[in-house]
Amino acid sequence: MDALLFPANLELTSNTIRAAVASASVGVAGAVLSPFVVLRRWAYLGDGIAHAAFGGIGTAVLLAIAFPALNNGVAIFLIGAAFALATAGAVGWISRRRAVSGDAAIGIFVAAALAWGFIAFGIHAHLGRGNTTGWETYLLGNVNRLPPAAMALAAGVCAAILLVVAVLRRQIVLYCFDPTLAEVSGVPVGFVHYLLIMLVAVVIIAGMQLAGNLLVAGLLVLPGAAGLAVSRRMKIVVAVAVGANVAATLAGIAVSWRWPFIAPGPAIVAVLFLEFLVAYLSRGRGLSE
Amino acid sequence: MSEPIIEISNVDFAYGQRLVLKHINISVARGTTVGVIGPNGGGKTTLMKLLLALLKPTRGTITVAGMPAVAAVRRGDVMGYLPQNPQTPPGFPINVGQFVRLGLAGKIGILGRESADDLRHVRWLLGKVGIEELADTPIGELSGGELQRAYIARALASRPHVLLLDEPTTGIDRIGQDQFIRFLNDLKQSLALTVILASHDVRTVAAVCDRLACLNVTLHYHDVPENMPRELAREMFGSDLAELRTSRAG
Repeated sequence: MDALLFPANLELTSNTIRAAVASASVGVAGAVLSPFVVLRRWAYLGDGIAHAAFGGIGTAVLLAIAFPALNNGVAIFLIGAAFALATAGAVGWISRRRAVSGDAAIGIFVAAALAWGFIAFGIHAHLGRGNTTGWETYLLGNVNRLPPAAMALAAGVCAAILLVVAVLRRQIVLYCFDPTLAEVSGVPVGFVHYLLIMLVAVVIIAGMQLAGNLLVAGLLVLPGAAGLAVSRRMKIVVAVAVGANVAATLAGIAVSWRWPFIAPGPAIVAVLFLEFLVAYLSRGRGLSE
Repeated sequence: MSEPIIEISNVDFAYGQRLVLKHINISVARGTTVGVIGPNGGGKTTLMKLLLALLKPTRGTITVAGMPAVAAVRRGDVMGYLPQNPQTPPGFPINVGQFVRLGLAGKIGILGRESADDLRHVRWLLGKVGIEELADTPIGELSGGELQRAYIARALASRPHVLLLDEPTTGIDRIGQDQFIRFLNDLKQSLALTVILASHDVRTVAAVCDRLACLNVTLHYHDVPENMPRELAREMFGSDLAELRTSRAG
């Protein structure tokens, strides 16, 4: 049992600490936004943004053929992040104009970005260029050799999101309740709309190395769904979401270290899903009051 | 007549090529209650959306409390609004007290905080609309009538000068309509409100409004109910206005 709980390869290295801090930070940031993502019915938005980043990473590995200076993890990450932010802005703009429904806009970007990402990796492999990390790593996450900048980014994103949500909570809550009611009440709805989408995007960017582009959006949906399953009080919803997300991210990376054939993204989301099931099955048993 | 708080001047509005409102001029004096009546498609809802700056006039201007409608809405403390058939998103995790306090979100702005006086006013409003004991109840657990009162309290939380009501008695039975009329008359007096009431419910309009605006693309009538031509009243209400007011008073 000890060998299972405290495996030899789970020693306390600087990478372990960095991964744990980054995981907890992304967990808190995603959890604080998660109830709003669920209430605003943006569950699919995180997927759209994360998959756009995969398309960006595919673009980066192709660009690295022409510009070898880009053939490094930081440049590839930054180009992926730029794609994610651009997609977030585009989805926000399209959904606000209502020319195309929000879910259709996201669906368009998900399909197009994933397709382009795989095409780019396919071209890269066909040309036999370089030793760029395989697409599975980007899609499913990897916590080995996490650079200090990744931990700093996650901690910074977490602090920024806590600050923004604390300051703007009334406007965000009213916007999520009913955007039209918020607008006629004098809330700057356009600002809140784009701000929320950009916050979702930066959590995706901070978490995609940890959980992978394919599954990082789970950090923004499952904890909020679990919180909302057990309570009708926002403070409890957020507290449950934070607890669920931090526990899942830490447990997920521990599982991935213990059994390296399991990528961190699927491990984290599997734990989150179990937590959601527990929350759903225990709903209405006291937390709502 | 006291100074106008709402001035609608030469307003046209078209959805694409379809003209919905044409050459509308309405002046609303402070403290009056204006009933906006007319057939379906006559432009009542469009006029409300123009007042709330959700739409922009194709031509003409709208001022509220001396400023353009869009500026009045952005201030957050000029107009309160009760939508038609208020509803809550399923499972939304706030209670009634928190919901009413959200009515301050526009007024206090992004970096502001609710003052102690604002919070006292919210508590007073909860009592005034008769849902004080429900303050800690999740908003999704209210009945239709309770939810409408919560929405009205939310609309009044920022102490607006103008209250816009969109079809407030639609789907409410006769007893509920009577209660709403008493409730609205009491609120008007307590808060010195100017009220714009768009409604199909001619009995409610006849009972609470001291000005009528009969709208069917153009403005057919805008004056006190007593001066309304009998033929127009019969066309709009299907009966004599004086009879309606008498029956409602009884």
